[in-house]
Amino acid sequence: MGQHTVEPSITAACGFLTAVDSPPHGLFGGYLLVDMAGRPLEFHCTAPLKVSRAQQILYGATLHSHLHGQQIGATLLAEGTLQPQVVLTDLESMLHVRPHTKLPVALVVRRDTPPTASSFYVGTACVSPPSDHPEHASQLRAAIETLVASVDLCEPFERIRAAIEEAQRH
Amino acid sequence: MEDRLNQKSFGFTALGRMRSWHLAQCPLPVVHVLPSIAPRLFRPAHLRLPIDSATPHVVRVPLIDQRPAVQSYQFRHAPVPPAPWQTIVPPASHVRAGDFSLAADRASAADRASAALKPKRTRILPPRDVVKMGERFFFLLQPNLETILETSHLEFPRQPFPFQFDGMAFLMPRHGAVLADEMGLGKSMQAISSLRLLVRLGEVRRVLVICPKGLVSNWTREIADWAPELLVAVVEGDPQRRRWQWALEDVPVKVANYEVVVRDRELVAELGLSFDLVVIDEAQRIKNRSSHTSQAVRSLSRNRSWALTGTPVENSAEDLVGIFEFVAPGHLSDSMSPRAMGAAAADHVLRRTKDRVLKDLPPRLNRDERIELTAEQRETYRRAEEEGVLRLSKMGQGAAIQHVFELILRLKQICNFDTATGESAKLECLEAELDEIHASGRKSLVFSQWVETIGRLRGKLSRFGALEYHGGMSTAARDETIERFKHDPRHSVLLLSYGAGAVGLNLQFSQYVFLFDRWWNPAVEDQAINRAHRIGAVGAVTVTRFLSVDTIEERIDEVLRQKRDLSDTILSQAESAPSAGLTQSDLFALFQLVPPQRSAA
Repeated sequence: MGQHTVEPSITAACGFLTAVDSPPHGLFGGYLLVDMAGRPLEFHCTAPLKVSRAQQILYGATLHSHLHGQQIGATLLAEGTLQPQVVLTDLESMLHVRPHTKLPVALVVRRDTPPTASSFYVGTACVSPPSDHPEHASQLRAAIETLVASVDLCEPFERIRAAIEEAQRH
Repeated sequence: MEDRLNQKSFGFTALGRMRSWHLAQCPLPVVHVLPSIAPRLFRPAHLRLPIDSATPHVVRVPLIDQRPAVQSYQFRHAPVPPAPWQTIVPPASHVRAGDFSLAADRASAADRASAALKPKRTRILPPRDVVKMGERFFFLLQPNLETILETSHLEFPRQPFPFQFDGMAFLMPRHGAVLADEMGLGKSMQAISSLRLLVRLGEVRRVLVICPKGLVSNWTREIADWAPELLVAVVEGDPQRRRWQWALEDVPVKVANYEVVVRDRELVAELGLSFDLVVIDEAQRIKNRSSHTSQAVRSLSRNRSWALTGTPVENSAEDLVGIFEFVAPGHLSDSMSPRAMGAAAADHVLRRTKDRVLKDLPPRLNRDERIELTAEQRETYRRAEEEGVLRLSKMGQGAAIQHVFELILRLKQICNFDTATGESAKLECLEAELDEIHASGRKSLVFSQWVETIGRLRGKLSRFGALEYHGGMSTAARDETIERFKHDPRHSVLLLSYGAGAVGLNLQFSQYVFLFDRWWNPAVEDQAINRAHRIGAVGAVTVTRFLSVDTIEERIDEVLRQKRDLSDTILSQAESAPSAGLTQSDLFALFQLVPPQRSAA
């Protein structure tokens, strides 16, 4: 088992994008591309981003959307060599990556979170498509259906967090 | 300022009491923010602008506009499954790995209920010796084991226990591993399921399983059960046949016994065979590094080495070093303290005991049956011991270990059957017990050290349909015996030798085990007992150990009792590790004799 070059014919079913705030290191971003069975094809992670107190004050409420959407999200999506059919994130602020990508990006949360009008359920996960891009909703549903039913849509984020923790230890 | 702003951007400034003519100097349009919305846009203004100063001091706060560095990793994708996967359909009774509603037929109802409520998810963690970040990520980023099994469409005849999933997650990423679970926890099933998954993922293509001769058919049965789609070839028969079997290329799993591996060592080298995975069962067979068996096994070209054993430390710490010479050569050495050895071995060894992982396994009830020899037996015994000890004393420094052994064996045989009259107090006791067990429709296992004793017992216990199982029988005859004992209610007693019957057999439908005489090592006795007391046992297993009062049997038992915990000592990294087996000093001490001094040469 190990690291190898991905064959060009392989298509990623799904991309999982998230960020982990890990004081005192900073903010790490992780982007995992998986196949239909949820197995990893590519993984990209950022070096930690540190934000000063002055920057926090100046960016105010826009800080997280800027960090997650533009700095981390857009950077990571640009690194992927495979084109997933859909990108899922578990952070609402990460949805601000949408202006920087043509891929449909949806929010995934556990089923116990209140759904929005356009939300739909997949197993224990609740998927919220972008309300301002209705054309993405059907594309999202179709893409997620290609994943094997047993793949838990919330679980890959735990893998990303575990990998980022591992990266901090080494 | 103009350079930094585009048409969609806004600039904010807190003006305080600045006059409006200052704003007129600004080249950009100015919008006044009403006081009611200002607090939402600005944090409390603690800035003190030096408005009276001619040139105010400016603090520059940089924007967050530098993209972070990114590390990227790409992983190999599992290849398309080979043909056998697509053509062989597992039996309808098989259950899917993640389907907890079809839980184990052998698991308790409580287990099933708890599993259904909260399915366990087993992560595959990278071994410590994997240092490359990409490889560590490869393991960490895999789905949990249950999902991998389910998405691979792998089905099992029975739902594995959670600790068995842990065992698979331990084996799969390791190139060198010792699965040292206590007997009866399903080591072979865990190894088969792990190698099955590795074959499925395209990680291994050529697997060799090496086991004792008597267990070859057991392994083929287990593989057929737990990995029905895998083609298996048993390497056996005459040299020409074996050459052909070794050379088979389209068979992913080959099974060979230790003797065949030793005999065909040169042939395997000549054919240039290399294996992706070699699994050795009853790995204590290679504990002696200088033995032909150990050398032959270690000479195999291989990528992964897994050792299965319920007794990784049978006699001394060197046993584990011997096994590690196959698993991870050079990783352990004889000079290590038990604590250091335990620490060095920790990431390669997984050992679970039944009391830790199988809370619901029926209890094992041990009882020592102390038997008074019959008067004739006692007299024969007394004479034999006195004569023997006298002879040893006369030999003085010339007395060797084999002389002591001979005397012990002779005395132990008399404890079984009086050599003069054929009387046996043990047999009388055993018959009484078996009468009751037979009447209740239950089955019993009776172990002895000697084939001759087994033969005698069979004649005496014919009314219970007693069957024999020992190394003097052919493999086919032994297999047939097991089948008859399993399925024919007329046979309620199986007589086994420790050598052939103590390992690998699944006889969990038997609820009574009798140790007619005692083996030299408690680990072997445990193995024998665990033929019945293992996963699938449907009720309490009663173990009766016969001990003849005031005989060599009692003395041996006392010595072994004191040394019983060596394996635990090593595996728990304790400081000192006494020998669990009988040393030369122990044997001489049984007769209050002093062992001869070794010569300097």
